[in-house]
Amino acid sequence: MSDADSSAPAVEVRGLVREFKGGIRAVDGLDLEVRPGEIYGFLGPNGAGKTTVVRILTTLLRPTAGSARVAGNDVVADADAVRRSIGVALQEAAIDPLMTGRELLRMQGALHGLRGPAARDRTVSLLERVGLTQAADRRVGGYSGGMRRRLDLALALVHRPHVLFLDEPTTGLDPTSRGALWREVRALNDEGTTVFLTTQYLEEAEQLADRVGIIAAGRLVAEGTPDALKARVGEPMLHVELAEAESAGRARAALAGLGSVEPADPAAPTRVVLRTAAGKGAIGPAIRALDEHGVVIESVEVETPTLDDVFAAVTGSQLEGAGSVEAPA
Amino acid sequence: MSAAREGRVVVALGRRALSVQFRRAQLLMPTFVLPLMLLAVIASGTSAAQDLRGFPDVSSYLAFLVPGTIIQGALLAGLTSGTALASDIEFGFFDRLLAAPVRRTSLVIGRQAGTLGLSVLQTTFFLAVAYVFGARYPGGVDAALAAIVLAAITAVGIGGVAAAIALRTGSLSLLQSIFPFVFVLLFTAPAFFPRELLTPVLRDAARFNPLTYVVEAVRGLLTADGSLGDPWAGLAAAVALALATTALATFALGRRLRAA
Repeated sequence: MSDADSSAPAVEVRGLVREFKGGIRAVDGLDLEVRPGEIYGFLGPNGAGKTTVVRILTTLLRPTAGSARVAGNDVVADADAVRRSIGVALQEAAIDPLMTGRELLRMQGALHGLRGPAARDRTVSLLERVGLTQAADRRVGGYSGGMRRRLDLALALVHRPHVLFLDEPTTGLDPTSRGALWREVRALNDEGTTVFLTTQYLEEAEQLADRVGIIAAGRLVAEGTPDALKARVGEPMLHVELAEAESAGRARAALAGLGSVEPADPAAPTRVVLRTAAGKGAIGPAIRALDEHGVVIESVEVETPTLDDVFAAVTGSQLEGAGSVEAPA
Repeated sequence: MSAAREGRVVVALGRRALSVQFRRAQLLMPTFVLPLMLLAVIASGTSAAQDLRGFPDVSSYLAFLVPGTIIQGALLAGLTSGTALASDIEFGFFDRLLAAPVRRTSLVIGRQAGTLGLSVLQTTFFLAVAYVFGARYPGGVDAALAAIVLAAITAVGIGGVAAAIALRTGSLSLLQSIFPFVFVLLFTAPAFFPRELLTPVLRDAARFNPLTYVVEAVRGLLTADGSLGDPWAGLAAAVALALATTALATFALGRRLRAA
């Protein structure tokens, strides 16, 4: 049903530029590559250019300069082949509120060449998959936000796309609906669908994405796995709270072999901070070493860099609403 | 993409356009109720017009007026179709269609298919209601069917203009503000009075209004009186309008996509 080249990158962007009236550059020389079968999290604040990139990749906008290929096909020269390969769920679930879920799925099927029993069966299975069987014949205007998003996802899946574009799929959803959508995205990815996910929620990127690209002012400012990105900012820190300030010297000596001990902070004489790539794995050895040196401890905490730290480090600013997404139930 | 597949796309889009129309109360009012209200006002308030010298000898004044109502319906059907398209553009539904692997022209023709279906239902409804209230159609069922076809093609013609405006501007409010101009088009055609009784200025304007030929053709068909209108002239005007404006809408879509 699609024209996907399975050996090609799922998404390949080179020097992409998009200018709007007044010379505003929403996308300013973007390069990125998404591998087949991965979930790529495209992270950035409002106005960073995420949606413009998605609209170009889904053939809804033309680039001003540069090139973009999706499933091996150029988004301008082979736009129709791109459309056969992709599923799209845009930021504002653009669903006609006067139609029912079933009607919309049937219409979407017709747009992708499905008909007869195949169209009916696909509609039924997708409704079941996104948990909307009971609401299938109700007008979408009466759906909750979560139901609309699930329907939007089902609509994007009608033709079994190779690459699925989800533009801020969980914005405005409650934790339960968000969790349901995350599970569905993971399941789709397990089935082999490449997912290009834009989000302004750090936790969403951490939870779902194999790799994350951070965009700011239309440029890719960092890219990598969430762990690799966080490692770029710095190693995890072990905060050891001692029972007595007098034992700080012994504690520092005990921990020296496990990583880099931070200089003493006169404002916190009972605290010793150890930087170590081992992160949580260093807790056991640290406690044993302190015990061997006769150091009594009150508590041990591990502080791991977050994607927000990464964002702040690469852009010099905090992500709006960073990490404020409530964790799904 | 095969022609058969594109045909199925057009049918799917037309079906959606039509079904949604019946779920929008604010669009049903102007397309089904308003023309009949105007017919009732004109039929009861201006019936003395048929006594004027030069007024054609018709068996039923109501039957004389019904073609005007039918053309008014076609105008409103076309315009509401454009309004619905502007709404799709403004609220993002049109993007969903653009992201699908279908010919861009099918998106325009699909919308036009919905307009055509709406007009067929409208005209049938108007003819039936007028019949109940005493209008008689000496042309018979064949004439009524021909009138339905003429009105539907005309609605497609008006729908093409409205679609072109919607695609060019993407503005729902602009489309809504155009509604009053329907009446300018309607009254610069001999919709409710014979062309001969219009003022010289209006009579000259009517010559350049394609709706003149359509409304006269419908009148000639329903009354079975060829002197009141030439069906072929009406068909030619309606088809020319539909082809020209559908091409205009397709051009507007192409321009919109190139500018995107």
